[in-house]
Amino acid sequence: MMVDLGGPGTACSAMRVRRLAAGELQGADRERTQQHVDGCARCQAVLRELAGERARLARDVPFDAFAAKVAEKLAHAQRPPRFARWAPIAAAAALLLAVGSTLTLRQSDDGGMRSKGGAAVALFQRSGAEVRAVQGVVGKGPIMVHLESGGHAYAAVVLVEPQESSLLYAGPSRAQLPEAFEWTGTARRATLLTVFADKPLDGETLRRDGAKGAPKGAEVVQVPLERVQ
Amino acid sequence: MAVSALRVIAGGRAGEKDPGPLRVRSDAGLLAELYEKHAAAVYGRCRYLLRDEEGAKDALQEVFAKALRALPEFRQAASPTTWILRIATHHCLNELRARRAAWRDQLAELAKDRRNEVEPPERRALVRALLSAAPAEAQEVAVLYFVDELTQAEIAQATGRSLPTVRKRLRDFLAAARAALAEALPGIALPEGDEP
Repeated sequence: MMVDLGGPGTACSAMRVRRLAAGELQGADRERTQQHVDGCARCQAVLRELAGERARLARDVPFDAFAAKVAEKLAHAQRPPRFARWAPIAAAAALLLAVGSTLTLRQSDDGGMRSKGGAAVALFQRSGAEVRAVQGVVGKGPIMVHLESGGHAYAAVVLVEPQESSLLYAGPSRAQLPEAFEWTGTARRATLLTVFADKPLDGETLRRDGAKGAPKGAEVVQVPLERVQ
Repeated sequence: MAVSALRVIAGGRAGEKDPGPLRVRSDAGLLAELYEKHAAAVYGRCRYLLRDEEGAKDALQEVFAKALRALPEFRQAASPTTWILRIATHHCLNELRARRAAWRDQLAELAKDRRNEVEPPERRALVRALLSAAPAEAQEVAVLYFVDELTQAEIAQATGRSLPTVRKRLRDFLAAARAALAEALPGIALPEGDEP
């Protein structure tokens, strides 16, 4: 017996119906999709499925219980020591992009910041009214981490200090981390370990095991850091 | 550019060294909005993939905690619905890998659930059972294609991968699915061809 596993239709998809229901479609796109959904049995079935999902959610996970659990998970994730050493303080994506393209080239000459596979890490720090590239020596002020993924879809960034490690980021590769960081620990030296891979990375394993926790095929970039006294 | 721009952050974490649990309470309006718009779909996805009520509830909350931690990215996503469902799918596939979900057991269960030999297994239940037979990197693409019904081009856009990579991963999924069916459900076959 042949079984069709399905897939997108000629003019409809479950995701499109979901996007319509969530109010994500605008203007002519919305009108066209609405018109299609009104006359499409397959899309109507998706709408019924969405109504069923809503009823199930209201019954199983009412908002108050949901909000309390989400708060608990956020509090747990933000509890020290995870962010004890580097505290997230601010993002400056626009500024980072503006200065990053020129400064990254200079930093790429440093073998410690670029892996053999082409992935690279660049750090920038705001000092007073200036933003400068960090060449290993870290002063006071927000540090922004810029990643060149070398084509890898995922990245994780860990600050490795002699006594402790902090996971700063684990998720899809991106040009810059969503937050800037301030090094708040007391150690003089540390290593910023960045791992690039083609599949999702387990940040906790990297935090615990350092570079040894990187999966096979991953690219590892280690940036030695020293704090200005 | 003004230096004060450095202090600006979507999500309001500027200057907070330890936002702690209060952050969610202060963002209760935002969380209510996200719950209203996306929680049903995320919960549905977690129930579908995990087939475990308690696990799905926990996964739902974990996915929203992740979304709140990545709020600027979430808000900037071309489609927040696609973005958060991808997070949910990733989370659940990781859970399933950690549990070492066995596709042979799932296919055997499907075979048992069929009322008779001429009735095909439910399409999405079959996709789910076949996921764990496929390579990890093909699993998400299979969910986006067969469950969310995104086109290959839309998957490439949503995942940031090239179209040839998406095609290859779908082919990998189909090859693994055919092999698994031949072994565990020999009466069931997928249409011929490299492409779905």
